[in-house]
Amino acid sequence: MHPKLTRRQWIAGSAGATLLAGCNANRPPAAPAAPPQVSILRAPAYDQSVYQTMRRVLATHRLDVRGLTVVLKPNLVEFEPGSSINTHPLLVHAAYEAFLAAGAASVRIAEGPGHRRITLDLAEAAGFFRIVPKFEDVFVDLNVDDVTRVRPRTQFSGLQKWYLPNTILGAGLLVSMPKMKTHHLVGATLSMKNLFGTVPGAIYGWPKNALHWAGIAECIADLHAIYPRKFAIVDGIVGMDGNGPIQGDAKPLGIVVAGSDPLAVDATCCRVMRIDPFRVGYLRLAAADLTHIADQSIVQTGETIASVATPFALVPGFRNLRLAP
Amino acid sequence: MKAGVPEVGAAPRQPCHPMSIEALIGRQNRDGGWPYSRGGSWTEPTVYAVMALLSAGQTASARRGLAFLGSIARSDGGWPPCPGVEMSTWVTAMVALLGPNQIGAALHERAIRWLLDTAGEESSSVFRFREWLLGNTMPAGDAKFPGWPWIPSNAGWAAPTSIAILALDKEDRRQPSPRVRNRVNAGRQFLLDRACDGGGWNYGSAHPLGYSSLAYPETTGLALAALHGVRAPQVDRALVAAQRFLAECRSADALNWLRFGLRVHGKLPAGYCTPSGVEFRTIPETSLDLVMTAAEQGRDFFWA
Repeated sequence: MHPKLTRRQWIAGSAGATLLAGCNANRPPAAPAAPPQVSILRAPAYDQSVYQTMRRVLATHRLDVRGLTVVLKPNLVEFEPGSSINTHPLLVHAAYEAFLAAGAASVRIAEGPGHRRITLDLAEAAGFFRIVPKFEDVFVDLNVDDVTRVRPRTQFSGLQKWYLPNTILGAGLLVSMPKMKTHHLVGATLSMKNLFGTVPGAIYGWPKNALHWAGIAECIADLHAIYPRKFAIVDGIVGMDGNGPIQGDAKPLGIVVAGSDPLAVDATCCRVMRIDPFRVGYLRLAAADLTHIADQSIVQTGETIASVATPFALVPGFRNLRLAP
Repeated sequence: MKAGVPEVGAAPRQPCHPMSIEALIGRQNRDGGWPYSRGGSWTEPTVYAVMALLSAGQTASARRGLAFLGSIARSDGGWPPCPGVEMSTWVTAMVALLGPNQIGAALHERAIRWLLDTAGEESSSVFRFREWLLGNTMPAGDAKFPGWPWIPSNAGWAAPTSIAILALDKEDRRQPSPRVRNRVNAGRQFLLDRACDGGGWNYGSAHPLGYSSLAYPETTGLALAALHGVRAPQVDRALVAAQRFLAECRSADALNWLRFGLRVHGKLPAGYCTPSGVEFRTIPETSLDLVMTAAEQGRDFFWA
């Protein structure tokens, strides 16, 4: 016997079918030409050793950045003393030094926090002015950077045009440097969700509510497609679990995860956090054929996932993301 | 180190001027507008700079700023955040604050109309009907009183609602209108409904996803200004929080709005001056400091 549909179920089902039909209009990213490589490096603390760790990251991935304009995009959300909300400034500075040493023409640090307008005050409170010499000279507040209108290659979100910062659009290499955190709206926030910080608040507001209305997962997938030249370095030295990305608890792991394929990097981070990447909406959407996030298609170097994996506490709405034992 | 809460009537400190009017004029772009800190011209910093210049009697540079703003007005009555953006946004309220004598009567009237026609999407009947169909429940009060969004078709938020209230309240005092007054009152109720438990305002809901949100100094100051003349327990709690923020906070932007919010409620310490060591890094921070200082000396652009 077929169950009888209520009016709401019928409408929701019809809407879902329409959406699925619309998905055919998208152009999913092709399968990677070569298997994506993701490295997991031990980094026990925020100390001088992270400078060596960063040089190892670049060497491991044979990154040729000679002559390129490199933009480092950390995750700077809010500042609470003793919390682990933001990418640690020491790690960002270590990356800054490593990319310059590797021959980058210039390295900028850029971020557009999504909650508060006082970007430089947040950066100061988070320690960036103390740790990065002449921080203001190398930093760009993406919330108020000059913008260019962009029409995305994919149309997951339905947003026909985006206004995005020239600093990011002009980057020879965009390095997403998130904190490894759980997120109460999407499950996990890693290198791809970190791209939300490239969307200018001076146009879209604080928070960037337009992205919520258009669909968070869909917007992440669109942004991933808009920026073609990316590298990801995830701060997993101390992450955050529970009610992330702000009110969660510090989660020490002592690792840095990196790679040229953000999908593969985020999928690896999910496995480290004991989250099933196939159940994270934006990864499924952006990966389309799923080869970017399947563990058998990722070349894992450095530490094994098993040796560093630890379950991140999940808020009730996302406990279904837990990776099966 | 945390300082104590300052008391009203504390001893005056030396006045401080983070950037001179001349330096502000020197940062004006060729098109007459101002950047946030560097680069092209944007609507918001231009409005603040024009306010600062008019407060100081520098009309020539202000006129060039006003001409820039007039040149980018959109056909729907609103303003874009910067030239080239094909969308009217919350900055329309900033321009409306300038008043008809500055921006021109026709443009000002259209800006007021744009504000009256704009509301957070969550308060629209279409959205509420859709939520009902999907079986979603909204927290009580979340949709009852319309606030203002950052951009149309989005939800209402504390900061754009506060700026819109300031603009419409100013308009209602200039030219009383029941429609304007009703939106101001509804907007104020929107803010009161979103006051944080501990006093003050976050950028949005006080309990997103069931968790208590913490107040931000800058939003608290701004919302208090928009609640000028309102007596409510939420306002009382926010004033206590704002005085605490004023003593502890070292953000120029936050301190500007806190000064404003406390002053309109008569709670700004007499002779208050921004503490030394606070960095004024952007055009809005510098301009607002000048505007607030002028207001404290009786030349109040937000209310006059």
